Amino acid sequence: MVAGGLMFMPCCRYPEQPYRFLSTEEADCIIALTEQIIPRDNYPGATDAGVIYYIDRQLSSVFHYDQQTYRNGIRSMQKACNEKYKRLFQDLQVPVQIKMMEEMEAGNLNSYNWPGGNLSSFFNLVMKHTMQAFYGSPIHGGNKDYVSFEMLQIDYPLVIGQNRYNT
Amino acid sequence: MKNKRVNAVVIGAGAGGGIVAKELAVSGLSVVLFERGKWPVYDEHPTDELISQRTEVLDSPFGPDHIKNPRVVVEADGRRRIVTPISGGYSNNAACVGSGTVSYGAMAWRFMEEDFQLKTVYGHVEGSTLEDWPISYNNLEPCYEKAEWEIGVSGDDGLNLFAPPRRNKQPMPSFEYNPEGELIYNAAKRLGLHPFPIPMLRNSVRYNNRPACIRNRTCCGFACPVDAKNGTHNTVIPTAMSTGNCEVRTQCMIAEIVVDDKGQAAGVNYFDSKNNGHFQPADIVVVSGGAIETARLLLNSKSKLFPRGAGNNYDWVGRNLQGHAYTGAFGLFDYDILDLAGPGATVALCDFNHHNPGMVGGGLLANEFNRLPYLYSNIRPPGSARWGIDHKKFQYEMYRRTSQVVGPIQEMPAFDSRVTVDENVKDYWGLPVARLSGSRHPLDYENCKFLSAKAEKILKEAGAYHTWQSVGGKGLSGGQHQAGTARMGNDKKTSVVNRFGQVHEIDNLFIADGSLMVNNGGFNPALTIMALGYWVGDYIATNFSSTKFRAG
Repeated sequence: MVAGGLMFMPCCRYPEQPYRFLSTEEADCIIALTEQIIPRDNYPGATDAGVIYYIDRQLSSVFHYDQQTYRNGIRSMQKACNEKYKRLFQDLQVPVQIKMMEEMEAGNLNSYNWPGGNLSSFFNLVMKHTMQAFYGSPIHGGNKDYVSFEMLQIDYPLVIGQNRYNT
Repeated sequence: MKNKRVNAVVIGAGAGGGIVAKELAVSGLSVVLFERGKWPVYDEHPTDELISQRTEVLDSPFGPDHIKNPRVVVEADGRRRIVTPISGGYSNNAACVGSGTVSYGAMAWRFMEEDFQLKTVYGHVEGSTLEDWPISYNNLEPCYEKAEWEIGVSGDDGLNLFAPPRRNKQPMPSFEYNPEGELIYNAAKRLGLHPFPIPMLRNSVRYNNRPACIRNRTCCGFACPVDAKNGTHNTVIPTAMSTGNCEVRTQCMIAEIVVDDKGQAAGVNYFDSKNNGHFQPADIVVVSGGAIETARLLLNSKSKLFPRGAGNNYDWVGRNLQGHAYTGAFGLFDYDILDLAGPGATVALCDFNHHNPGMVGGGLLANEFNRLPYLYSNIRPPGSARWGIDHKKFQYEMYRRTSQVVGPIQEMPAFDSRVTVDENVKDYWGLPVARLSGSRHPLDYENCKFLSAKAEKILKEAGAYHTWQSVGGKGLSGGQHQAGTARMGNDKKTSVVNRFGQVHEIDNLFIADGSLMVNNGGFNPALTIMALGYWVGDYIATNFSSTKFRAG
């Protein structure tokens, strides 16, 4: 009876919308972007680490003032991809994605800027958030299962003696 | 309910205020120690890099609340920007009992004799308000000693060729070098320099009924899980409370110091944790809010005789805001040099604090505190990838192979580097917020270049296969080492307080924090702020019976 009841926990009722702020399509774009910021190699990458959940969660709380930058940035980035390659960013081949990112970083896509914002500062913002998500504490949504700590061979949980353990 | 009159109100339970409260309480005076934050709790933010004093990405672990406490920063081009503790540029000091002494790296420096008389040693500096202190190192020496023994310092100044004279040694033996420290020590020795173990406000052995340090990785920027790091929250403030004379009133925001029509402080108006306004009458008021909040409170305390703020009739309150431009160099090694045992910084040298050819002042150099992974993701040689596979590889290949030798430069006080209040931007309580403006003296950048070159030379000698400099010293000053905004001096027209921290023309209003400092040294200032706490506290306790402190 107890197990049956758990199936109807509220958090499980809308599996098709796992995000708080981003739409699924926006999230797919950010997932692709962050995966090239910290790509998977022998170690897990941004997608494996759940970077998107950190970004989405912080955008809906502490980083609420960055919401418009994300919304405009994604839209303008997709517009650039569409005009150049007739595809969404997440559907581009990885080398093409990287080329787009280099152009954004260098400020070469400034014809796609919007009032009060531009693609290179949007890129810098996503890059900063990706580093925070991947290398920060898992309790904020990213660094799932301490994948980056494992990569860096940092012991976790940190054993700090005196019968106190960080959980 | 009306508050009972007390002998003294102390505002701010940090390095300065905690000590003054204790000195007054043990001498028998009744004290209310106000703190706008809470008591620090280790378990709330144990090892979270993103909520630590080192990054403050998502929150400040020890306050203040980032929504309730904005500030304004004036950019070089004159634009005003509202900042918060998590937005960058805020110059945050922790708002909790103990303040920065809870989460600091805990270096325990005495300033050198020269630091108290820079003008005599170096002469006038164009564009700077550089001045001698009205007190000397010898005046403060007994106070340094008291801070070292009561708060607790591990160190051996006998190993520091440049240490100022002292009557007694530090109470605990110094810490060992970590592998990186050993490397830097040997390299510095080969270069003819004089490295030694960093003195620390941290227990190398059991002391004052608290355990020895366990080398916890998350030390600097975090609270200590075993209470082996010494601040005012676990030493003097509990002592003050145990006398029965000191009440610590937390989560109280002071709105203003009430100065009566005769020019005496009558007490303070404040908001309690439920935002109810109160008046707390007192014979004397001591302000210890840190260089930014102290200046702001004085400026917000307008009265008939002080229409521009308490002690501000000559427009010196908030002036000369200083901090520390950090400057140094990085080196990459072929093998692991970091063991990540806490706190990380173990070796320092004072060869470049003074008497550098053609320079005014200088700064210490030390190896850096542990950097956690997010902070490290920003450390790359110039021209390196900022993202992508190369950035990631650098992260996991070099995390334990990167050394930094770095130090705080002695900043030249600048009159226009200052704290004012912004009448158009109010905090949660409706009080005008602090506005930071101006910039560092041009000499700071020159001095930083000098010190960074020295740091790079040491790293090369230590065997780094690649080195690069990180040079600070430009832009707005402030930061955690904020100082100078209520300068000590003998002339009321060119300073805010006298040599005992007593505000000129308001006999019963005192200041005891980094604001007093005429200059900020080339050292982390915590121990000097503590010594000043004893200096001011001792003066008040000794002279309290004199009628001049009795208001009304």
